[in-house]
Amino acid sequence: MPLMLSGDIVERNILRLKEFFLTMQDFFLFALRAFATLPKAKRYWRDVLDQALICGVESIPIVLVSSISIGALMSMEVGNLLEEFGAKTMLGRSTSNAVLRELGPLLMGLMLSARYGSRNGAELGAMQISEQIDALRAFGTDPIAKLVMPRLLAALMMFVPLVALSDFAGLETAALVAQHYHKIDPGIFWNSIYPRLVPKDFVVTFLKAPVFAILITLVSCFNGFSARGGTSGVGESTIKGIVVSSGLVLVANFYVSKIVLDIMH
Amino acid sequence: MIELRNVTLKYGEKLILDKVSMTVRDNTIKAVLGPSGVGKSTIIKLMLGLIKPNSGQVLVDSVDITHLKETDLYPIRRKMGIVFQGNALFDSMTISQNMSFFLRENMQLPDDEIERRVAEQIRFAGLEGYEDQLPENLSGGMKKRVAIGRALIFNPKTILFDEPTAGLDPVSSRKILHIITSLKKSNNLGAVFVTHIIDDVFAIADEVAVLYQGKIIFDGPADKLHESDHPFICSILSDKILEI
Repeated sequence: MPLMLSGDIVERNILRLKEFFLTMQDFFLFALRAFATLPKAKRYWRDVLDQALICGVESIPIVLVSSISIGALMSMEVGNLLEEFGAKTMLGRSTSNAVLRELGPLLMGLMLSARYGSRNGAELGAMQISEQIDALRAFGTDPIAKLVMPRLLAALMMFVPLVALSDFAGLETAALVAQHYHKIDPGIFWNSIYPRLVPKDFVVTFLKAPVFAILITLVSCFNGFSARGGTSGVGESTIKGIVVSSGLVLVANFYVSKIVLDIMH
Repeated sequence: MIELRNVTLKYGEKLILDKVSMTVRDNTIKAVLGPSGVGKSTIIKLMLGLIKPNSGQVLVDSVDITHLKETDLYPIRRKMGIVFQGNALFDSMTISQNMSFFLRENMQLPDDEIERRVAEQIRFAGLEGYEDQLPENLSGGMKKRVAIGRALIFNPKTILFDEPTAGLDPVSSRKILHIITSLKKSNNLGAVFVTHIIDDVFAIADEVAVLYQGKIIFDGPADKLHESDHPFICSILSDKILEI
């Protein structure tokens, strides 16, 4: 009996593994097809602009809220810590490292994964279960070119300025907290940042933007396209899209930093 | 002409179609009758190349589309129009945008020609005055007529209907069935419609294929269906409507 049970478990796990690899294969084919349709951007420029508005302009408030909170928090906590060592004048440098390289892009990525990713997953999932995606194919329109490529291109275009905005807002808030809470002169704060900024700071932060754009858009769209089984299926695929893309954003955030800092050491 | 030759299709381990063969001749109304979940809609999707069979062939006008690439399928698909069960209208577009969308997408036509074709279909569907409405503001029957108008936009040879009267009130159902027969008479259009309502079959179909447990158990003229002695056919003839 125990042998039979363990046989069942092994078989089930093999099936799951097989399913996982098949899904990965489908995902990579989906990603390849999305990139292959980029030359059709001219034809779908209106869709690209619509998506740029959704993922770019309309995301500004949530990106600002997250970056302002984290900038203020970092400045307050790190300032308190540095005070113990009598090194408060280094607050600008410490905060800028954390905000510029890591927290600015990371928070923006997580916020957009929740906002843009969920929208993509739910919208495309609803289109999938209501057969609108089949209708596109049936009437001769490539659904990936029409629905995925504009989202991907818009994200690639808009994530870079959003990261810049997130970094800027985070640092400005940190400077304000440093001035009013820690009583550090803004000149001292900014002087500890500017002279020490190096190219790798910008490479790390701005390289994360396109990486996150690709991960969030493709994962959420793929999950939307894979939605099955009515409205609960749309919910499930949306959740899956957000969870997977947020996880990938966290992992990618670490690896991009590590690789760039190793190379540009 | 659309042909399925020994088509077998599985979803995972589940066998949906088991060596199914059938032919849809031009200018013929063919019904595919069967209980829900038996794979009727799958047959329509196979005819359009939206899904691929595990084995067997699908031929459209003698062209084997079974292994054609997606881009090569587009001109083949334009020979057919499709009306999905839930209509699959784009809910963010108005009625006229829904009808003109694929013309703008796939054909290099001047704006006035597109407008002319859309107006023609709106008139045909009896939806004058609703051009700027969103689908959510229309009744089920009206949505179905928009979907039929959209399916006609490329002047296809055959229209595929997935459960065209499901969920409609009797008056709307009759209107839709009337549209299908009038399309055959006035435009020489063939039709394939999948249904679980046997009255619809006798009302308009020239031929009927009955799908049961993945197999075609009857394929022939609708008026010969009574002659079948298959227990399933006998039971549906007595009940008139299949279990939903």
